[in-house]
Amino acid sequence: MVKYVSFLGCMIPLRLPSIEIAAKKVFEKTGIEAVDLEGYTCCPEPVISRLIDQKAWLAAAARNLAMAEEKGLDLMTLCNGCYETLIEANETLKHDPKMLKETNQLLREFGKQYKGTIDVKHAVEVLAEDIGFAKLKGLVKKPQKIKVAMHYGCHLYRGHEGEDMMRKPNMMKQIAQVTGATVVDYGLEKLCCGYPGMQADEEFSLKERLALKLKRMEDMGAEAVVLTCPACTVQFETGQVMLRRYGIRHNLPCINIMELLALSFGVPSKELSLDFHRSPVLQLAQKMEAI
Amino acid sequence: MVNEQEIIKDMKQTLANDVFEAESPKKHRVFLRIRPEALRKAVKTLTQKYETRLITVSAVDHGLDLEFLHHFHVGGNVVTFRTVKPKEDNTIDSIVDIVPAANFIEREISDLFGAKFTNHHQPQPLILPANWPNDKRPLREPHGVDLPSQAKASAEALISSGCVFSVSSFIEKKRVEAGLPRTPPLTFTDEKAMKEFQSLMEESGFAEKVGYDMEKKRLRYKVGGE
Repeated sequence: MVKYVSFLGCMIPLRLPSIEIAAKKVFEKTGIEAVDLEGYTCCPEPVISRLIDQKAWLAAAARNLAMAEEKGLDLMTLCNGCYETLIEANETLKHDPKMLKETNQLLREFGKQYKGTIDVKHAVEVLAEDIGFAKLKGLVKKPQKIKVAMHYGCHLYRGHEGEDMMRKPNMMKQIAQVTGATVVDYGLEKLCCGYPGMQADEEFSLKERLALKLKRMEDMGAEAVVLTCPACTVQFETGQVMLRRYGIRHNLPCINIMELLALSFGVPSKELSLDFHRSPVLQLAQKMEAI
Repeated sequence: MVNEQEIIKDMKQTLANDVFEAESPKKHRVFLRIRPEALRKAVKTLTQKYETRLITVSAVDHGLDLEFLHHFHVGGNVVTFRTVKPKEDNTIDSIVDIVPAANFIEREISDLFGAKFTNHHQPQPLILPANWPNDKRPLREPHGVDLPSQAKASAEALISSGCVFSVSSFIEKKRVEAGLPRTPPLTFTDEKAMKEFQSLMEESGFAEKVGYDMEKKRLRYKVGGE
């Protein structure tokens, strides 16, 4: 039995719970036991809180890691942002004895300690490595015969020191192919969706990042974009609506890799609450079911 | 002639726990960081015990707090009382009745920083026109910390709930309809875990850095500015 602490983060359960639902279905079908982490906090998110105070950011991340370690399990994330925070905090704590000592001094007051014995994995790694593409393929009941474009999300390129940055994106691409989808290459896969820049320059983020990607995806015939990152999903979905202000119209379904996988396993779309999406994911799923 | 250490010893003896920190970084220089409530007592003690002359009062706007520095010449030494007041309070005791020479500088600070000197007998503007707007003081910084609005809002949400997104009743309802627990097992669902996390944020210095009031459970300032 493959068993992990499941770190849901904030954005997926509180903004896009359809991803949480799909992940549960996928974990059930593939035999992954996902253990809840009671009393967890935001990872904390990898940009703002870390820039404000790295020591506090590390302490909060270490608290989450210590709670997973108490369960004796490695930690699995669904969200790219959580992945970046927790893998980088874990690397720091494992390889910097001074930081580990300082962080544990803070945690000790609350009866906690992080020993650095667990690993952090993204769900795509767990699916690719612990389950394997062959087993995933064997579970496909309803091949998704669509052309999709991949958006991996910047934080999925992060990982262990020296890790090939394309390792996890390639896994995600292969998982999408396992579902029966045809992945189209559009040349801008590594370009940021623009989410982090929205506060600084909304027009630039929408027109010079998101719109460029959307146009190339559609030019290449993509019928949907496949993502793993909830922040990128929000950017793609609300961004398509906001782009109308600039006379740019797109309406591409933005589907999470877990949702695509669940649909391919034959989970009915009505069980996935795809209406949480602000792009026509539900309509796409219904269209696929009708085929 | 009195020396620095004698002044420090005398002031500590009189003010006891009202002195947070006392130092003499160089010859003839003394800094005493004291509770603002003890300022008048400190000035009275200094002026009664030694031949004292007020040099000036200076103020520094730190964003969240205003710092007042009362500088005195005491027997060949420069002695500075440092007091910090939160900008929400925005007041400091006037010392004009003890040291009349403080009159003009207190009014000038009031004009430039918008601070109120409590019990000043002549509180009208000194260097600004009488009709100068209260909310536009030339040397007053916006109340808060130097962070983008989104970062302030995220920091507030993180400390107060343990996550950076609010929980809407709509999402709770939709989660239940979808067969999920009403909320994920985040910190805010567990009182003990929440208390532990907030203490961690306080102990690590994060709460102070972003200006979070642990008692009122919110930022000490408006996210969009004063």
